[in-house]
Amino acid sequence: MLNQEPRGRTLPVLISLIVVGVLLMTIDVRSQGEGVVGAVKTGTQTLVAPLQKAASYVVNPVADMIDSISNVANLREENAALHRQLADAEASLVAVQDQLARLEYFEQLYEMESVGNEIGRTVANVIGRPDAFDSALIIDKGTSNGLVVGQPVVDTNGYAVGTVKSVTSGSAIIVPITGDRQGLTVVVEDQVGMLSSQVGTTRMRLEMLDARDPVLVGDRVNTSAQSTSFPAGVPVGLVAEAAAPLIDTLTTTVEPFVNPDSLRLVVVLAWPPDPVTITSDDVVVPEETTTTTTEATTTSTTGSGG
Amino acid sequence: MRLPKALVMATLLLFAVVVQTTLFGQVRFVAPDLVMLVVILFALTRTRAEIVLLTAFGAGLLVDLLGSSLLGLRAVVFTTVAYVALRTKDRADSGRIATALWTGFLTLFGVILLVLIGTLFGQSILLGPDVGTRLLVVPIANMTLAAIFAPLFVRLIDGDTKALRFT
Repeated sequence: MLNQEPRGRTLPVLISLIVVGVLLMTIDVRSQGEGVVGAVKTGTQTLVAPLQKAASYVVNPVADMIDSISNVANLREENAALHRQLADAEASLVAVQDQLARLEYFEQLYEMESVGNEIGRTVANVIGRPDAFDSALIIDKGTSNGLVVGQPVVDTNGYAVGTVKSVTSGSAIIVPITGDRQGLTVVVEDQVGMLSSQVGTTRMRLEMLDARDPVLVGDRVNTSAQSTSFPAGVPVGLVAEAAAPLIDTLTTTVEPFVNPDSLRLVVVLAWPPDPVTITSDDVVVPEETTTTTTEATTTSTTGSGG
Repeated sequence: MRLPKALVMATLLLFAVVVQTTLFGQVRFVAPDLVMLVVILFALTRTRAEIVLLTAFGAGLLVDLLGSSLLGLRAVVFTTVAYVALRTKDRADSGRIATALWTGFLTLFGVILLVLIGTLFGQSILLGPDVGTRLLVVPIANMTLAAIFAPLFVRLIDGDTKALRFT
């Protein structure tokens, strides 16, 4: 059985393959996942996505069962907490319905019309992850549902999750903010900073270059209006360590609200609401896709951006 | 490599990729690296060494194409692991536990290499919050699966019912 030793050609083959692999890595780094590399990735994902979707129908109940068994000790507490949250939510809903009725009354009274500036939302199931070390999420919605590369993704509570990295007709890959090399522009109180991922910890690093006031443990961190990847005001996390500015620089850590490992559902935001594609000649070309809003399925003009 | 053998191997690899990205993508705490396991066990078969290396490269490339990290990263790692597996496969022949331990050490080597090369190329997505735990859990999971499935895998690929029958 184990009588076959590697022959003389094995080492040259190994070296050749490693050289090819390193070349591919270099090309991918330089092209930033676009061009030929991006096209090949999209093609492969398009081919495998139906298999992954089919498998997820079988796998999801199994995964749920394993999750339930592993979390059985916490289920009672979680159930009680959810009951409390439901009661709070129902009370809030009554208040909101009352306010909506008053708003509608005043709109009719003053003959006003809604401007319709709500952001389109596409709810998607997480059907998997590439492997044990890649924290990206594979979801079951793609360009046929209006998704484009760069769109922001939140969880069902509206907390920031990540951005769409690549998209096929029926699936997409989401890179969570905790694994993204690109930072996220956020705001704490009225101070703007840059949030970036750190190695080996769930906490993210927050750096403010023009800090005036200290930040305290529990301060809320939201996305900034200066962010190019998220709409303003999306909750990201809480400040985990108090810090004061050193001259005008402040560095601290932030505990994100979302743990990407536990996500089963995500919401892709069609943001910016009316993006444009900038061509090499700086000609503004609108790109047509379909956007699903929370109220109804509508078609609007969106495109790559973020 | 005969066509049926190639077909069986391709089917097994595709099955490993789909199960890896769906089932073990959702149950993270017991996640093995199925594709790396298939590559390692493939080295135990009677397939030519060059074919094993090319298959490892192709399998790694497929996982890279389906993920968000760098194209070629896992191709390089899986090829290197396959080479080490080919050079050390004598040590896996003495019993089921030896096969499992050998698989576990090779997986550990592979995941450390993946994290190291990934770090060199700035792949922070590979260095998540529980990277330390995963560096241990993945080899242990692969070791367990190898103890159970290695003989079956080799018999299936080689079409030899007497392969890996430890006494």
